[in-house]
Amino acid sequence: MKALVIDDSRVMRRIVTGILRGVGFDTVEAGDGKEALERLTEHPDVALCCIDWNMPVMTGFEFVVEARKRQEWRDITLMMVTTEGEQGQIVRALAAGAHEYVIKPFTPEIIVDKLELLGLVGARA
Amino acid sequence: MSAATESAPIFEAEALMGIATDLFETMVDGEPGHLTLWWGEPPELEDSRFTWVDIQGQPATRVLLAASRETGEQLTRALLALPEGSAVGDEDFADAVGEVANVVGGNIKSMVPDGGALTLPSVAHAAPDAPGAIAIIDTYLSWRGAPLHVSLWALP
Ligand SMILES: [Mg+2]
Repeated sequence: MKALVIDDSRVMRRIVTGILRGVGFDTVEAGDGKEALERLTEHPDVALCCIDWNMPVMTGFEFVVEARKRQEWRDITLMMVTTEGEQGQIVRALAAGAHEYVIKPFTPEIIVDKLELLGLVGARA
Repeated sequence: MSAATESAPIFEAEALMGIATDLFETMVDGEPGHLTLWWGEPPELEDSRFTWVDIQGQPATRVLLAASRETGEQLTRALLALPEGSAVGDEDFADAVGEVANVVGGNIKSMVPDGGALTLPSVAHAAPDAPGAIAIIDTYLSWRGAPLHVSLWALP
């Protein structure tokens, strides 16, 4: 399964990528929402996007809105991974079409638990 | 009590310490116990670097972190899981310490009444000019024995 990790911080992309590879994902990366739309076009087999909110050029929220307009991407799971932890922001992102929400800082377990919940990795014993 | 005081964010050093502790335990150290309050005299930061984000709410707030270049490099190595003593380039440095400011700022934003937008992190050799800014929190933390200056400012 392939995942797209979207964050303007390379440090954060490396951390999220490491966790996803650890549970068997192939990964591609993007540094902002616009780049992420391009990556999705190049990689139609992406099943999961991990999306930072606060990025230059195009925010993660704007990316979710754009991605949700595209029929061919309707099966992609969208998971926000962001410092934007206010209830209002979470509600906005979920209403726009995000499926899950992880607030930075996080542990690898938090990410893997969410992926299990979403049915993207098998539940651990 | 003036209206200005009443609308000021109610934010205490303990909450900031809680955010920083979470961040260091989960993403920097992978275990608790390496970040504490700094006891004693405020330390001198050698060859210091500054990183900050602004929360453009009402009132606008700035989260400003400062540390020596050396401590910032240690932090970068920890976040990137680089070997002890390995060289840290400017790009990785700015990315890593900037993301620390972003995570602290984002968590603070979710605690203040009118959060507003969060700016992208800045990293520089000097603190940003902020005439009229008022310090809400101004404290030193100790990470593995090295000082980290953490401050929160109400911007005019
Ligand atoms: Mg970001």
